[in-house]
Amino acid sequence: MSQYDVIGTRAPRVDAPAKATGRAIFVDDMSMPGMLYGALLQSPYAHALIRGIDVSAALKLPGVKAVVTHKEAGLVKYGVSPARYDETIFCYDKVRQVGDNIAAVAAVDMATAVEAASLIKVDYEELPAVFTIEEALADGAPLVHDDYKRNISAEVHQEFGDVEAALKECDLIKTTSLKSKRQDCAFIEPQGCIATYDLSGNLTLYSSTQTTHYVQRSLAMALGAPVGKVRVVKPYVGGGFGSKASASHLEMAACLLAMQTGKPVKMIFDREQVFLHGRARHQFVHTMTTGVKKDGTIMALKHEAWLNGGAYSSFGIATVYYAGSLLGGPYKLPNMKYDGYRIATNLPACGAQRGHGGVIARSCWEQQLDMIAEELGMDPLELRLKNIMTAGDVTCNDLDMSSLGMKECIEVVRDASDWKNKKGKLPQGKGIGMACGFFVSGAGFPIYRSETFHCTVTIKVTEDGGTAIVSTASAEIGQGSDTTFAMIAAEGMGIPLGMVRIESGDTDFGVDLGAYSSRQTLMTGQATKQAAENVKMQVLDALSKELHVPVEDMDIKKGYIVFKKDKPDLSALKTRYIKEHREWTDNPSLDDELSFREASRIAFFTKGTIVGTGMYKPPELGGKFKGAAVGTSPAYGCSAQIAEVSVDEQTGRITIEKMTDAHDCGQAINRTSVEAQMHGSMAMGLGEALFEEVKFDDKGRLLNGDLAEYKMPTALDMPPMEALIVESHEPNGPYGAKEVGEGNIMPTIAAVLNAVHDAIGVRIHELPLNPERVYLAIKEYREKNAKQ
Amino acid sequence: MLLPKFEFHEPKTVDEACQMMAEYGASAMVLAGGTDLLVNMKKKLLSPQHLIAISRIEELKKVDSSPFGLKIGACLSVSDTASSDAIGKKWGALSAGAKALGSPQIRNLATIGGNLGTASSAADLPPSLMAYGARVVLKSSARERTLPLEEFFTGSKRTTLADDEMIYEIQIDEPAPYSGAGYESLGVRSCQDIKIVNVASFITLDGPGGIIKSARIVMGCVGPTHLRAHSAEKILVGEKPGEAIFARAGELAMQDATPRGAAFSRASAGYKKDMVGVLTVRTLGTAWKEATGERN
Ligand SMILES: Cc1cc2nc3c(=O)[nH]c(=O)nc-3n(C[C@H](O)[C@H](O)[C@H](O)COP(=O)(O)OP(=O)(O)OC[C@H]3O[C@@H](n4cnc5c(N)ncnc54)[C@H](O)[C@@H]3O)c2cc1C
Repeated sequence: MSQYDVIGTRAPRVDAPAKATGRAIFVDDMSMPGMLYGALLQSPYAHALIRGIDVSAALKLPGVKAVVTHKEAGLVKYGVSPARYDETIFCYDKVRQVGDNIAAVAAVDMATAVEAASLIKVDYEELPAVFTIEEALADGAPLVHDDYKRNISAEVHQEFGDVEAALKECDLIKTTSLKSKRQDCAFIEPQGCIATYDLSGNLTLYSSTQTTHYVQRSLAMALGAPVGKVRVVKPYVGGGFGSKASASHLEMAACLLAMQTGKPVKMIFDREQVFLHGRARHQFVHTMTTGVKKDGTIMALKHEAWLNGGAYSSFGIATVYYAGSLLGGPYKLPNMKYDGYRIATNLPACGAQRGHGGVIARSCWEQQLDMIAEELGMDPLELRLKNIMTAGDVTCNDLDMSSLGMKECIEVVRDASDWKNKKGKLPQGKGIGMACGFFVSGAGFPIYRSETFHCTVTIKVTEDGGTAIVSTASAEIGQGSDTTFAMIAAEGMGIPLGMVRIESGDTDFGVDLGAYSSRQTLMTGQATKQAAENVKMQVLDALSKELHVPVEDMDIKKGYIVFKKDKPDLSALKTRYIKEHREWTDNPSLDDELSFREASRIAFFTKGTIVGTGMYKPPELGGKFKGAAVGTSPAYGCSAQIAEVSVDEQTGRITIEKMTDAHDCGQAINRTSVEAQMHGSMAMGLGEALFEEVKFDDKGRLLNGDLAEYKMPTALDMPPMEALIVESHEPNGPYGAKEVGEGNIMPTIAAVLNAVHDAIGVRIHELPLNPERVYLAIKEYREKNAKQ
Repeated sequence: MLLPKFEFHEPKTVDEACQMMAEYGASAMVLAGGTDLLVNMKKKLLSPQHLIAISRIEELKKVDSSPFGLKIGACLSVSDTASSDAIGKKWGALSAGAKALGSPQIRNLATIGGNLGTASSAADLPPSLMAYGARVVLKSSARERTLPLEEFFTGSKRTTLADDEMIYEIQIDEPAPYSGAGYESLGVRSCQDIKIVNVASFITLDGPGGIIKSARIVMGCVGPTHLRAHSAEKILVGEKPGEAIFARAGELAMQDATPRGAAFSRASAGYKKDMVGVLTVRTLGTAWKEATGERN
């Protein structure tokens, strides 16, 4: 039996009724009196000088209320990482990507706004552009930003231990590479927002965002407003996956237009704009050299990564750091050298996406480890177990595995998939493969250097004592965080989930860095737990004074006061409550146990509104070297996956037959939500493995900016998935909980790569594994073998 | 993305629709399910001033089967095409094409006439229809004409339809005894996918265990319109069906295919060619099975 009453269950999501009935309000559903519609004018060129902007025709169009360009917006530089603020709200000197923002229009309706934007005349002088890493690095290549010499927008050079010395001691040294393609987050709800500006100068933005706090700060900075005058509110959000984790031009433009017109302004991206401004997964090219001993002991990893970053830095510095640091585990690796380069090009900017920075690096390495196991004549699963880290291990780059059920994950998927009877034993064309991965449970530091708490939570009990309202600025974006925090709050106060109401996603509720880096369950969860326990203490404290029972002799469980020793005479207290509610039909009876409702009503008499607060910031984390801030986290989630595939060798088409997945999320708060995250991770990972690729023409224009030609897996492409939860106890997490949102995507691609090799004997070093790529790889392999 | 402005008309009968088309001529387009047309209008590739909506005209949704064959109304939805018993029993390759098209939501709206009207060489229904030797009946207020589907397509996104003409029905003859057909399409993913290559094959044997009397092989995505693999067909006629001759037909079909090597198409020309070979062999196999199967 669980020691908990609420957490660890499969409680239905608190937002399920609203979503299932279509009543949940998303930005697109919202409307306000007098609301205007905004549209952006975006560059058709990938690289061009702006010699002039003429907005006169747009302003003359009936129905147009405002047109703004850099003249109105100003030239404050902003971005994600303060070290690389390289954007302005609107372009002023040149455009650096197709879709770059030149101007915005507010008008009485969308059609007028769009028409007006098309009437703005921009005098461009086209410049030569660079789209690939090779083009950008070529001698004499045009610079995307003058500040980024050779178009290198960020580079990382790290060495832990002594890689060259270690390689000399190795029995087997293997070098391989993996090249991926740009991926899009492809959430269902495009970004949208409504900005309002009141007569006292308060700006309120309703936005489809993952990070109200960062949006608030960016708006305040770029628009020159005090933070206290800017409020960001997040309605329901239809997925984020990283793309909604920073302030967008859409949000900036809507605010500016609202300030100019004094009217609410609504703006929504169309799907093509989601692709142009999604700032999702970079294209990665990794080359890795690993050295091992004959017995499979991993000695050293030398790693070089090249990222095609697009026109702006966005999250890119963090991305290029993560691409290296997340290989420190989950295997014991004493020596690691990393050289990473993020290259600026004239393609749309890239940023963060689920598994930030680490996914392709992980895929490259896990395929390589499989190849090494094969050459050593070892079961690849055994090779991993041999090197596996366990709780308490610290990686060579100072990541502290305070809990780590990695070994358990491997064993669980091995047994559930019947690995031993399948690996190497399936008929030609069918294969099985496995891989592992781990991920941070919250970035150890905010994106801007700060001593801020990462989150603050308030819980207020209603005066009747019947409901506890949790207020948090954290972001429910579909992942289930509202339910998670409601459950943690209920557990912490000792009351049923039904007595908790949660309000989230509003900067007025406090500080919360938001839904990214898989941080909320651990961090916001800690703050929620603290606030809940604070409420409980206040109630018990008031009760203690009334009943003369020491606080430590009481507890609250399932909504009732528990007296650990003698039960005091409660009749006076209970009578007081009933008198307060004469003629009420639902009064507790005199014989019942003393309820939380009664107790907190009594507490209200002495203390006024009971408000509990909680806050969290990570403890001091390891790593003093440059870049140590990226990768350090209070905890790490980990997972192992086994993919079973069949390959149609005549067409190259892969069918995923089954996925067996185990993830260590620490204590599962809501088991159904954990499994749902695992399912979603696998879907996204399989999409990236098999189909997804954002394509551009030779002018940097999108070729497949829609969900017909950008191919995500459909329901029919998804295999049966077995999601197995492994629960370690994370000392730094609330009730021992940690992440599942991103860590679980880490093994998917490599598990497929390894299964494909098991099926057809072919190693493929480029993604996605679409039919043509697999077909050509098979052809090449056969031709090579025929020659030998 | 917003739709450009247009005037919407919803005639109650085919005659009324034809009159409207005569009146508005080139400035009007027929709107059936809209799954191609409205998408193209949103992308501003098309901007007709008038849309004449025909998908609620009952007469256009019929499936009439008789001993001579089938008459299918132009507005029969793709989902009804997929689930029609009359079609499934004797024209299984057409059902297969309908089932391979888009997703349930798209199939519910999309029509068979629209799939022809779009004249895309990647479309899922023309290969089987052409392989079965289907004819289209075209109507305008002035006249009615019937022509083989093969002659209906004149190029990529081009048909013989005159400005005032609409597709009224599709006719398919009862297949001769000992005949069978197969349809295969290859996409990147399992559904909701415009195809990389698709092929339909139809063969008629001269009796149980007999030789191939006639063959039609139709390939999609490898030319401006769906193409007949004439040399593959030729080599099959007079031969006993079997793996070896099918493989030979596959090789010849690859030569008949003329895929464009456009840098940004869904797959390279070489891959498409190779896949024509694979799908030709597979569809011939299905056709053979059906030709010798219990149906006869
Ligand atoms: C997401 C998505 C997925 C798709 N997947 C596939 C797929 O897998 N395979 C595939 O083949 N197609 C696919 N399509 C394309 C489309 O759904 C089909 O071509 C469909 O059959 C078109 O039929 P419709 O009734 O919607 O045509 P509409 O869009 O209404 O019309 C298409 C064209 O035909 C003309 N037209 C329609 N009816 C007539 C008529 N009776 N007489 C004369 N002209 C007519 C119209 O004027 C227009 O030019 C997809 C489309 C979408 C949006």
